[in-house]
Amino acid sequence: MQKSIAIELTNVTKVYPVASGLFQALRQVTLSIPTGQLVAVTGKSGSGKSTLLNLITGIDKPSEGRVAVNGIRIDQLSESALASWRGRNVGVVFQFFQLLPTLTILENVMLPMDFCNTYPKRDRKERALHLLDQVAIREQADKFPAALSGGQQQRAAIARALANDPAILVADEPTGNLDSQTAHAIFHLFTTLARAGKTVIVVTHEKEFVVWFENTITLSDGAIVTPTSVNP
Amino acid sequence: MKIRYWKILRDLTSDYLKNAMLVLAMALGLFGVGCALGAYAVLNREVARNYQETRPASATIEMEGGISRELVDRVKTLPGITDADRRATLLARMKVHDKWYPILLFVIDDFTRLRISKFTPLSGSRQPLPGTMLVERTALGVMDATEGADILIKTTNGQAQSVQIAGTVHDPSLAPAWQEQAGYGYITLETLRWLGETQAFDQLKIQVADSRSRASITAQAKTVATWLELNGYRIHEIQVPPPNQHPHQSQMQAVMEIMVVFSYLLLILGAILVATSVATLMVKQVRQIGVMKTVGATSRQIAGLYLVMTVVLCGVAFLFSIPLSRYAAWVLSAKTAELLNVVLMDQTIPAWVVLLQLGTGLVIPLLLVSFPVIRASRRSVKTALDHYGVSGSNSGFSSGQMGRMRFGNELLTLSLRNAFRQRARLILSLVLLTAGGAMFMTALNVSEAWFENLSQMYSQRLYDVEIRLNEPLLTNPLIAKLKSVAGVNRIETGSSMAISLDKAGPYAISSTYPDKGHGSFTMQALPIPTRVFRPKVAAGRWLSDPNRREVVLNQGARSQDLKLGDEISLSLAGKPTSWHVVGFTEDVGSPATAYVSLEVFNRLLATPGRGSLLRIGFANRSQEAVFPKIREIEQRLERENTVVRASIPVWIVRNAIAAHLRMLVNTLIAMAVLMALVGGIGLLSTLSMNVLERTREIGIMRAIGATPQKIKSLIVLEGLAIGLFSLVPGFLGSLALSTYLGRFIGNLAFRTPLQLVLSQKGLVIWFTILVTGSILATLYPAHRANRLTTHEALGYE
Repeated sequence: MQKSIAIELTNVTKVYPVASGLFQALRQVTLSIPTGQLVAVTGKSGSGKSTLLNLITGIDKPSEGRVAVNGIRIDQLSESALASWRGRNVGVVFQFFQLLPTLTILENVMLPMDFCNTYPKRDRKERALHLLDQVAIREQADKFPAALSGGQQQRAAIARALANDPAILVADEPTGNLDSQTAHAIFHLFTTLARAGKTVIVVTHEKEFVVWFENTITLSDGAIVTPTSVNP
Repeated sequence: MKIRYWKILRDLTSDYLKNAMLVLAMALGLFGVGCALGAYAVLNREVARNYQETRPASATIEMEGGISRELVDRVKTLPGITDADRRATLLARMKVHDKWYPILLFVIDDFTRLRISKFTPLSGSRQPLPGTMLVERTALGVMDATEGADILIKTTNGQAQSVQIAGTVHDPSLAPAWQEQAGYGYITLETLRWLGETQAFDQLKIQVADSRSRASITAQAKTVATWLELNGYRIHEIQVPPPNQHPHQSQMQAVMEIMVVFSYLLLILGAILVATSVATLMVKQVRQIGVMKTVGATSRQIAGLYLVMTVVLCGVAFLFSIPLSRYAAWVLSAKTAELLNVVLMDQTIPAWVVLLQLGTGLVIPLLLVSFPVIRASRRSVKTALDHYGVSGSNSGFSSGQMGRMRFGNELLTLSLRNAFRQRARLILSLVLLTAGGAMFMTALNVSEAWFENLSQMYSQRLYDVEIRLNEPLLTNPLIAKLKSVAGVNRIETGSSMAISLDKAGPYAISSTYPDKGHGSFTMQALPIPTRVFRPKVAAGRWLSDPNRREVVLNQGARSQDLKLGDEISLSLAGKPTSWHVVGFTEDVGSPATAYVSLEVFNRLLATPGRGSLLRIGFANRSQEAVFPKIREIEQRLERENTVVRASIPVWIVRNAIAAHLRMLVNTLIAMAVLMALVGGIGLLSTLSMNVLERTREIGIMRAIGATPQKIKSLIVLEGLAIGLFSLVPGFLGSLALSTYLGRFIGNLAFRTPLQLVLSQKGLVIWFTILVTGSILATLYPAHRANRLTTHEALGYE
C-alpha cells in the first residue's frame, strides 16, 4: 500500500542576513517524506541540516518555497498558530535535551499537555508516567533534570516530545552528547517509534547509525545531494 | 495547579535571595503608600470630626464694650442665626520656673452650658471656682505643671496672681500649646476681675444657618453687625475663619499629600526594579521560552506566565506590607493627631485604602513589566533557541562605536563597555539610581534649607526679644534707661496692632481664629530707618521715608491681586486708613504683616513719640545668655512702673515654627533612606544579572589567562561605573525636586519658598552610598563568577 506523505518541501530556499551579506542556508530544496519512516539527515557542519529541521518544525520560515506537513502549509501559519500546531503535531528533541531545570522529569513531560490542553487534566500524569515507562526512566519521574545522566535526560526529552502524541518526531543530533551505548539505546527507541507509525527525522553526524534508518537525506552547501525523494 | 505555574514558583524560589530583595523593594513602596494613605484617611476624617464637635463659631463679632446675656438671647432670634454665645479672650503672661511665657485666657460665660466653641473636660473640675482655671491638656507641658498646681499669671493691668489649675480640658480647635510655646487657660469673669482686668465679654460668637462658604457667613455676620450698630453697639472687627476647617487642616492635608506622592514614587521605583529583574530573568530564560514554544506554548501563554510571576512577587510584598503599613498608619495618624491636638475617636482605616494599595500595587508593576514581557514572549522560537547570553548585537551600540570607546587602561575600558552592553537594563538601573539619589539628596537639601530658613530669623531680626507694653508709652526715656543694661547693644521702639483689610465695607473683616494667632493680620510700625529688622525685599523697596503713608506687605499679607503702587485701605483701630504699597517682603516667622512708618502710625493714632513695643538685641545672642538679660530688663521696667504685656524671645518664635513641620522634614529623611535602600537593591540586582549572563564569557576570559583578581576588578569597576553614571543626573534631578519641594514646604511653613540649599553632606553621603553600594553589590557576583571552574563557566547556558 502506498504510504501517505507526511512532509513535503517544494523549492524551498532559506537565506539569512549575516555581517558579510546574505547566507543561503538552503537552496531550492524539494523533498517528500512518507508517513511512518525513520529518516536520517546528514551532512557536514553548515550544510543546512538544522535549517531543514527548523523549517519542518515551523521553528523558522522559508525565504521561498512551500512547506507542507500532513497537508498543512505551515509556512503560511502565524507564530501563535504555529506554536499550537507544533505542540500537537511535532515533537522536538534537542541535542542538549533542553529540559526545564525547575520542573521535575514528570512535570517536564506533562508541560506540553498543559500548554496545548490536549488531554484531560486527570489523565495527564498517568500518560506522562506511561511515556516515561516507555523510555525506561519511570523511576526518575520525581527528580529534577540536573540529577539525571545525559542519556536519562535525553530519554526524558523524547518522552516530552511524545507527550501530545505527535505524528512527527524531529531530533537534532540527539546523541551528540551521549556515549555510544546510550546513543545505541536512543536510536533503538526511535526505531520502535517509527514502527509504531511515527515519522521520525533525525539529524546525525554518526555514520555508524545510518544503517538503522530507512532513508537518508544528505545535504551539502544547502542542497540535497541524495536522495531528493525518499522511497516509500 | 497547572504545571507551568510550578515552573514559575520554582524559578522564584530558586533565586530566593534576589527575589526576596525584589519583594523588599516592592514592599517598601507599598508600605509607604499604605502608611501615608491610611494616616491621611484617618486624619482627614478625625480632624474634621474633632473640629466639628467643638461646634466652632461661624463668625466672631468683636465689639467695643460689654455684651449682655439679653443681647445674646436677642441675637439668637435674628433670621439666619442658629445660635449665639459671648466670650472674651486676652493675652496674659505666666511664669514657668523663672521665665515668662504668653498665656491665652479664654473667659467663659457659663461652663455648664457651652454651646459654641466647646471644649471637652478631661479631669478635675468642670467649672473653675474664682481664682482657678481649667487648662488645655497640651499646655500642662509648657507650664511644667500638673493638676492642682499654682501658676503665677500676670495680666496687663493686674498684679501677678497664683492661679490654681482646677482641671484639664481638650480643645481641638487650638494648636498644641508646645507648638505655640504658650499656655491656654479657661477662666470665669470673676477670675478675670480678680486678675485685675476690667474687660467685659466683648466677643459675640454666632453660628449661621448657611455656613457653606466664607462669603455666605461673612454676609450673615455683616447683617448681624448692622443690626447691632442700629441698636447702639460699636463693632470692632468681624472674624470669619475658613468654615469647618481646623486651623492646621490645610497644612495637614498638604503634608499628607506630599507623603502620598513620595510613597508612590517609591512604589514606582520598586516596580521599575521588578520590571528590570523580570526582564533580566526573561533574557536569562530566553532559551527556556524557546523550548516552551517548541512544545506548544503560545506567546500569550508565555507572557501570562511572567505576568503571574510578577503578581506572585507583588502578592508576597502585599503579605508583608499591608499589615505593617496599617500598623504604621495608626502610629503616624496618632503622632500627627498629637501635632494637631486632636483625639482619634475611631482609627478605622477605610477599605478604599487597602483597595487602592492592592490596585496600584498590582497595576503599576504589571504595566511596567508588561513591556519587556510582551517583547520577550513574542520573540521567535528560532531566535530564542539560538540565544547564548549577552552579545554586542543587542546592546544598541554598533561594534564600531563600542570599539572606539577607550578609557585609560584596558580593564577600565572593558568594564565600561560591559556596562553599556545591555542598554535597556543600563537605562532602567540608571533611572532607579538617579531617582533614588535625586530623592535622597532632595530630602537632605530641603532639610538643610529648612534649618537655614529658620536661622534667617536671627539674621533678619537683629533683636533677641520683643517686649510688648501694655499701652503706647513715650519710649525715648525708656530706651535711654535700658541702654545702660550691660549686654544690650541695640534697642528700638515700635508699635503693633491687629488690623484688617478694609474692603470698602463698614466693617473690618479678618480670618482670625479664636486663638488670635492663626489667620490674623497685624500692622507693625517701625522707626525709619530701622536698625533691628532686615527682611528680604522680594519686590519694590523697603520703607524709606518716615513721613509717607507707605506700606510694605509681607508674604502672608500679600494677595494675588495686589501690586506695587496700589493704594490699599486698612482698618486701623476701627477706622479706614489709606496706604501706598511700595514693597513686598519675605520675612521668616511673621504672620500676615503690614509694615509702616512709626511716625505716620503715631500721627494717625494721635500718639506722638510713643511706642507699644521694644525690640532689644544683645551682644551675646545665645539662648542661655538672653534669658537672664530679658529678666533683668523686665525687672528694670517694673521698677519704672512700666507694664509689660508680653515678652517674646525670638527663639520662642523659631521653636514654634520648627515644631509645626518638624514631622515633614523627618518624614522626608525617612523616605530618603528608603529610596537609597531601593536604589541599592536595584544596583545589586542589575549587576548580579549582568555577571550571571556573562558566565560563559568569564569562562573564556579565564581560559585565556585572566586571573580571579582581574575578573573581580572587572566586575567591581563595572558596578562602580554604573553607580557613578547616575550621580550627575541624580544631582541635577535633586536640584529640580529640591526647588519644587522647597517651594511647597516653605509656603506651608513660612508662606515663602525655601531657598535652594545644596547639602554637601547629602552629596557626600550619596556618593559614599553609591561607591560602597556598588562595590558591595558586585562582590557577590564577582565571588560567584570566580567560584565556578573554567570548565563549568564555559559550559554555562
